[in-house]
Amino acid sequence: MIWIETMVNGVLYGGLYGLLGVGLALIVGVMRVVNLSHGEFIVLSAFVGVSLAHVMPGVHPLILLAPVAVIAFGLGFGLQAVLVNRVVTRPDPFASILLTFGVAVVMRNLMVEIFGADPRNLPAGRLAHASTTIAGLSVGVLPILILIMSVALFTLLQLVIMRTRFGRIVRATADNRDVVRLMGVNPGRVYNVVMGLALALASVAGMLLAIRSSFTPYSGVERLLISFEVVVLGGLGTFWGAMVGGIALGVAELVGLKFDPNAGPLYAHLLFLVVVLMRPNGLFGARP
Amino acid sequence: MTLLEVDALDAFYGDFQALFDLTINVDAGETVALIGANGAGKTTFLKCLVGLIETKRGEIRFAGEPIGREPAERISRLGLSLVPEGRLLFASLSVEENLTMGALNRRPGSWTLPRVYDLFPVLRERRRQMPNALSGGQQHMVAIGRALMSNPRLLLCDEISLGLAPLVIDQIYASFARIRAEGASIVLVEQDVKRATSAADRVYCLLKGRVTLQGPARGLARDQLSRAYFGA
Amino acid sequence: MTKVSRLVLALAGVAAAAGPWWLGDGPMRFLSELFLMLAMAQTWNLLAGYAGLVSMGQQVFVGLGAYSLFVTSIALNLAPFWVLPVAPLVCAAVAAVVALFLFRLREAYFAIGTWVFSEVVSLTISKIERLGGERGMGLPTAKLIDPRWLEPLTFWLSTATAAGAIVGTYALLRSRVGLGLMTVRDNDLAAASIGVDVWRCRFVAFVLAAAGCGLAGAVSFAATLYAAPSLAFDPNWVVVMMFVVLIGGIGTLEGPIVGVIIYFTLRELVTVVFNLSAGWYLVGLGLAAIGVMLFEPAGVWPLLRKRLGGDWLSVRRQPPATQPIGGTAGDSAAG
Repeated sequence: MIWIETMVNGVLYGGLYGLLGVGLALIVGVMRVVNLSHGEFIVLSAFVGVSLAHVMPGVHPLILLAPVAVIAFGLGFGLQAVLVNRVVTRPDPFASILLTFGVAVVMRNLMVEIFGADPRNLPAGRLAHASTTIAGLSVGVLPILILIMSVALFTLLQLVIMRTRFGRIVRATADNRDVVRLMGVNPGRVYNVVMGLALALASVAGMLLAIRSSFTPYSGVERLLISFEVVVLGGLGTFWGAMVGGIALGVAELVGLKFDPNAGPLYAHLLFLVVVLMRPNGLFGARP
Repeated sequence: MTLLEVDALDAFYGDFQALFDLTINVDAGETVALIGANGAGKTTFLKCLVGLIETKRGEIRFAGEPIGREPAERISRLGLSLVPEGRLLFASLSVEENLTMGALNRRPGSWTLPRVYDLFPVLRERRRQMPNALSGGQQHMVAIGRALMSNPRLLLCDEISLGLAPLVIDQIYASFARIRAEGASIVLVEQDVKRATSAADRVYCLLKGRVTLQGPARGLARDQLSRAYFGA
Repeated sequence: MTKVSRLVLALAGVAAAAGPWWLGDGPMRFLSELFLMLAMAQTWNLLAGYAGLVSMGQQVFVGLGAYSLFVTSIALNLAPFWVLPVAPLVCAAVAAVVALFLFRLREAYFAIGTWVFSEVVSLTISKIERLGGERGMGLPTAKLIDPRWLEPLTFWLSTATAAGAIVGTYALLRSRVGLGLMTVRDNDLAAASIGVDVWRCRFVAFVLAAAGCGLAGAVSFAATLYAAPSLAFDPNWVVVMMFVVLIGGIGTLEGPIVGVIIYFTLRELVTVVFNLSAGWYLVGLGLAAIGVMLFEPAGVWPLLRKRLGGDWLSVRRQPPATQPIGGTAGDSAAG
């Protein structure tokens, strides 16, 4: 029974991992950029959430998701407009990862200086520990909420990209940045919005993670690696692939922790390496 | 009225000069053919017109307005539309979505989605399919349709007969009559000299980035053309 | 190499050998650290600047080098410096195996894949109690060394490691594999089409870089007499390696030298002169790296080279002079 409960919880948290990764998948898919500061922005959103919660003590953290997401959108927009857009057109595939790595290092160490290295978390009151029984299994209420939120956001994202005029422009820009200019689209502006969107999604995941476990300015590394593993596992070009990848990693991590409590994310990482060994294009392989 | 005036245009790829002192004109209502061998500079020229290549020397005026230093996004609103070499359709978008992308910058005019489907009926049946499910000729039709959706005053066609069966090329060239009738002028870049000269009013020939011949399409002798095309 | 360069090198060699007698303990320790960082940077430069492999997990070899030294030294009850060769050998072996599956990933994916691998190794070692787990392990066999020689030995070994890294990289690049590497860096598709074995060139570079890092890591931790996963596998190793190379000048042998000087200057400025906490120099380093990537991707060395004139450690080859008919062949491949 415990194993099934663990697996179910793994699935539920896996939705969260999928949300962590889908932002990165969006950026990689649209502009072929791997944003190595993705993890740091996730952690920064959590710090912003903690600061907001301090300033507004009566407000439940879940309500703070919206303002934090808006702030994250702005930060992503700015990051792209000021920095990343300058290297996106360069032929060197490493320019953007080296640049964003620099951003990550600056952010990580600034956060240590400003917020300190002590672990923090977002208290969610009774909700964090409430559990309910479904079909004889004890399941946390918060994980269910998280899964519902993740699925809702994924669906929303899919709808926006596939069914709206804006989504059409994004897909066209991803296909051919030069031709789309012939139709009056400025690719740089599209990238700004996409980066903002990606970080807004990541910020939601970051806040939810901060409710579940504590974090420090150094947590960005782990968040980045998980996001990245989600993207690669799911295969590029599919959002639902990222969800499945996230779930696989979530299950692997929780099951691993059950019989090896000190492992941390080790089993998730091992799953990633094994899959990469066998299927370098990810589980749903698209263009690498 | 002169729609397009290109004056002493030079174009570079880095340090490599691709176009030398080009002077080319297109009048409203005309169809002008630009012929030349591979590497003569025809595609480069079109890219300069639409703003994909920055030009620092020489002038380009469209309907009297200087566009030589404008970015592509802005030029697209003025009525210049390109059917790129190799079609370059958006692979993640369906046929209909590709066409609607062309309408993002539409000027007032008669080309609408139903009209484009009238011109190329086969596209209506395949409107929800992805470009890679279409044949080469059909993809060309989508590319032309996409360019038409903005109601251009000047349609630039880059090697639209490349790789197509003669019957299909006939079909596509037949559509030019309709396009002209709706008021667009056309610049036709081709390697196939016969096609180009039969469809156009005037011809320019390019060789290694320079104009080597210009004149009315039907008045040019074969050996004259040959010399201009291949060099003496 | 010109006569002047040979003289300068000879003098530097003598100065280094005599180091412990004219340098105090503090400066010696500082220089040891600098030389080891230079060695590591050269290995990262070999990977990224010449083989086109951006590794963000290079710290795994620093840590493996350290741990393999500690374990061997304790197991054989020998003074650590005697078993130093174990470190590069173990790292080379691990690199050879890991390359087999990491090389399936390209570009950014390879970069992060190496990082994941490093985390896996770090987490695994944290769970092994015999290796001290998370708390780490000490180096009791250090007692077998006369304490007066600990600092000098470390200094000589650091100098030798740095010199070896530079000489080794230079030799590799002047060899056939090296020529292949440089074509791969510029255009791997074109390289493959002329018959360069892209995979093999990268493999050799990856294994050698791992060995170099392992040696530097082993010397570094043997000097501190203590290794723990959080220190040995700290991503900051690769952060510094990477930024030193980027800022100094990627793809040149002189670049990491310039970069290391800039790094240590920045660090001392921030921590000693401005008396700020250590995190701030990393902020400065990150900002410098961002600046370089945006405005001067080739790094500082190419700018200096124009001012100072001349390459010091160029690996560029001269094509053989054409033979005059009936005459003698000209010189080929000048330094």
